Amino acid sequence: MNSYIEKIKFYSAHIIFTLICINDSIFINTWIAPGPIINIKYILVFYFSFFDKGRFSITFLFFIGLIFDSLQGMPFGMTPICFILLSKLASYLKQRRTQTNFQNEFIAFAISLLVTQIISVIIVSYFSQAPFEYLLLAINIIVSLIFYPVIRTFLKVFYYY
Amino acid sequence: MSQNRLARSTTPGVSALQKTISKKFLLPTYIIISFLFLLSEKSDFKAIRFLKALINDGITYSIYVVNTPIKFVSNLGSSARQYFNFNIILENKKLKDEVEQLNAEKRELQFFKNENDNLKRVLGIKNRDDYVSVYAKIIHEDTNEFAKNLILTIGSNEGVQLGQAIVRNNVYLGKISEVNLFSSKAMVITDLNSRVPVVIPSRGVNAILKGNGLGGAQLLFLPQNAVFENNDQIYTSGSDGIIKEGLYVGKIVTDNKKDIKKRKYSVDLGFKEHQLNYVSVLKVKK
Repeated sequence: MNSYIEKIKFYSAHIIFTLICINDSIFINTWIAPGPIINIKYILVFYFSFFDKGRFSITFLFFIGLIFDSLQGMPFGMTPICFILLSKLASYLKQRRTQTNFQNEFIAFAISLLVTQIISVIIVSYFSQAPFEYLLLAINIIVSLIFYPVIRTFLKVFYYY
Repeated sequence: MSQNRLARSTTPGVSALQKTISKKFLLPTYIIISFLFLLSEKSDFKAIRFLKALINDGITYSIYVVNTPIKFVSNLGSSARQYFNFNIILENKKLKDEVEQLNAEKRELQFFKNENDNLKRVLGIKNRDDYVSVYAKIIHEDTNEFAKNLILTIGSNEGVQLGQAIVRNNVYLGKISEVNLFSSKAMVITDLNSRVPVVIPSRGVNAILKGNGLGGAQLLFLPQNAVFENNDQIYTSGSDGIIKEGLYVGKIVTDNKKDIKKRKYSVDLGFKEHQLNYVSVLKVKK
């Protein structure tokens, strides 16, 4: 019984992540803020790669990324690269730090998010003709950074690590 | 054979090594596949486009199935409110009055339409293309930092083509930006990349309406001396030759500054995002 509950708890992260990815606009933009303001999916990938390396496998991130690209009309293959990169960066930065406190964790998140967003901008500008607003992207990064401690606290309470 | 299998499964060192090797190969494999997908974005092969359309269709319809229970749960609140609406008799009476008033306006419009047709005939002005509308259900709505899309249930099977306008009750919502076999994507007017030629008939001014990516839109290329008042209506001008002219887009909202030169204008669009279920795609009648 206990192991069954543990299993549900383990896969609940996958389910939540998948639902957030396919319902990005419904969950986030309607309820919290108008427009593409916050990047919860990147926060989740970072959090679970930083604290629980094996939870989101590369295969899982790859396929969810493809689904996301298909739904959002992004260049096919962009989000899998971003997810995998973010996950690898998070686990690499975690390995490098001997002492994990919130400050180190936040800096690691900021670095990972920035690098991932820069890569996504490069991919979008090279593989798609659609222009985009740098200001919106900056807002997205800043608000994601502000919301990170809040979402992280919720996740920590639920998954306690 | 069975001994081999047993040996493989019971030797922890070997199975761990096998796992490590497969994991080591997984990462470059996925990166390479992703890059191949990205490179295919630039190619114009029919086979690749067909394959992508198939993948898109598959994902779109499976997401529709996954989302159905979620939508059901999220709609429960409004359904319950409607069920317990005790003012329904009053509301019914009010709606009946409204219908009567609209019917009267419709008759008046029909009179003006006939008059307009007669005048056009006398002046020898040709009518522009006729349009037919195809009904489509929105199965998904997506917004991110780069784009704002609606996914519709019809695709090239119903003759949908790139650039065709999507409307709801004659209100312009956006245009088709990607066509698959049984689904298509529409770029909403509020998307950052959306540009629509519009006209403000009450002032005789043409402009371009650009989405701001945050649920609104702004007017560009306005004449320097253009002055607007609140509730000046905006319609599509049809000057791009694809979008039908005369579709309602929204109305102008000003900050009402006395100094006309310092006035700032925003656009109140004729629809609300995240509240759309069905739309029509306008096709030129052949």
